[in-house]
Amino acid sequence: MKLYLQVAKNTWDEMMSYRFNFAMWRLRNVLQLLTVYYLWLAVTPQNGHIFGYSRSLILTYVLGASLIGSIVFSTRTQEMGDNINNGELSQFLIRPFGYLGYWFARDIGDKLFNVSFALAELTIIYFILRPSIFLQPNIFAVLLTIGAICIAVVMNFFLGSLLGMIAFWSPEVWAPRFIFFTLVSFFAGGLFPLDILPVPMQRVFAFLPFGYLQYFPLQIYLGKLSSNGLIQGFCIALVWCLLLYFLVTWVWRKGLRVYSSEGN
Amino acid sequence: MVIQINHLTKFYQVHQKEPGFAGSMKSLFHRTYYDAKAVNDISFEIDEGELVGFIGPNGAGKTTTLKCLTGLLYPTSGQVSVLGYTPFQRKHEYLKQISLVMGQKNQLWWDLPAIDSFLLNKEIYEIPADQYNKTVAELSELLDVEDILQVQVRKLSLGQRMKCELIAALIHTPKILFLDEPTIGLDVVMQQKLRDFVKAYNENFNATVILTSHYMKDVEELCRRVIIIDHGKILYDGKLANIVKKYAKNKSITVIFEKPVTREKLKQLGEVASFDPLKAVVIVPRDKSNYVASKLLEQFPVEDLNIEEPNIEEIIRDVFANQASSV
Repeated sequence: MKLYLQVAKNTWDEMMSYRFNFAMWRLRNVLQLLTVYYLWLAVTPQNGHIFGYSRSLILTYVLGASLIGSIVFSTRTQEMGDNINNGELSQFLIRPFGYLGYWFARDIGDKLFNVSFALAELTIIYFILRPSIFLQPNIFAVLLTIGAICIAVVMNFFLGSLLGMIAFWSPEVWAPRFIFFTLVSFFAGGLFPLDILPVPMQRVFAFLPFGYLQYFPLQIYLGKLSSNGLIQGFCIALVWCLLLYFLVTWVWRKGLRVYSSEGN
Repeated sequence: MVIQINHLTKFYQVHQKEPGFAGSMKSLFHRTYYDAKAVNDISFEIDEGELVGFIGPNGAGKTTTLKCLTGLLYPTSGQVSVLGYTPFQRKHEYLKQISLVMGQKNQLWWDLPAIDSFLLNKEIYEIPADQYNKTVAELSELLDVEDILQVQVRKLSLGQRMKCELIAALIHTPKILFLDEPTIGLDVVMQQKLRDFVKAYNENFNATVILTSHYMKDVEELCRRVIIIDHGKILYDGKLANIVKKYAKNKSITVIFEKPVTREKLKQLGEVASFDPLKAVVIVPRDKSNYVASKLLEQFPVEDLNIEEPNIEEIIRDVFANQASSV
């Protein structure tokens, strides 16, 4: 455990050595959030509904999607592919620790750092703009939302790792990742709530992992799910987590057999 | 016996591309592969405390062998056993006892001071704090880097970085140290320092050291035993000194004369490699060198005479050249 703390700590130190970069990155996030907010503020009628969502709910949805998206999708796993391609992976394999655990610790370190800033920014924005957003009064629902986000974080880590490990077989890792995450931003409900889609499609989506990355936690927060829906959702998400975990470890073992430690 | 290798073979699948854009397009649809035989059926054993040098030209299979020994590569066939472990399984108990330093790869975090990477290794290898402090203090004094440990790695010179890499690799005092081109790109002073350090580490810890290098000097100074490898095969395995006996068939005699002599007369004694009337180099078979020397002293007005073994680098170059022409 101390080891992974040290990895996270080094990750923070590393981020702090690019302070200007980091500040710009945060500024970009704030601007993006404000753009989304004003866009939806403009298109939703004052007291009406859009896609069956009231104005405050849809605003909460898009802002929440953008916040959860930035937590869940921020990852360092693309560096795995680089590591494998340029042979840097050797430096990890030679030492007695888990490579996946290492990158997960870096992911978490990175996320915690960003989330702490994001929360501070959001608080400031909230008190300045006083937006009409929905604040979930039920602490239990908030806790479940956080739980669902944690599952989403793990799931996204596994997906990112799988994409990184393509490097064992092909040096072209950038294109698959790009296409995959473009599709995911759509299927995860980052652009609009998934329940505006036709019902048959929603049924299919309920069994795919993508909606659990963004849409599912938000539905919990907005109080849209019955207790049955909650249980079903968590079950499917956890099963996906488990499946992806086995897939990742299997691909990792296969990959090491063909790893050629290039570049030296 | 700490290292045992039996009929180790490692082939890589390499994809071939015809030159130019047309070749690239063609390779999109149809790829031709061939097996690169990086290591082809080699066997050897290494004892505890030995300092062994791997030499061979680029692409001979030195690094591939090291990578199989350290568990980075999965062997195509053959058995590898190090300290009783199978390296590819990468058991943590095994990895805790070895280390690999690659001259062209770094494990230090580029944006952080070296000391932060050391701290991470402390946690990875689960080293108690007092032992860690002692080792870092010792190593950084030996390598004279105490004042740069707090400096971002990116700001260090290549030599300073290499020293820090070495400390990071030795923090857990490994029993076996694999060094792949550790002196590459370093200036002569730094090379010497590194060599002295490796020697001291080998002696102080009775550590086994396996080293590959392009620099003959590294091998000559450090290793009693060398393994010469080329085209994935072992050409020679034994004492460095014996290479000279085995491969150097000739000695050269340099003579300086008091008065000018003629080339024709010298030719009767051996092959004349260079000649000016007052100085000549004669190449003679090893076993005849004493005889020829006495003849020279008898028949010529000799001022000075010197019998020399050819240097190891030359011999090895000959070995590789012969190998290449016989393949």
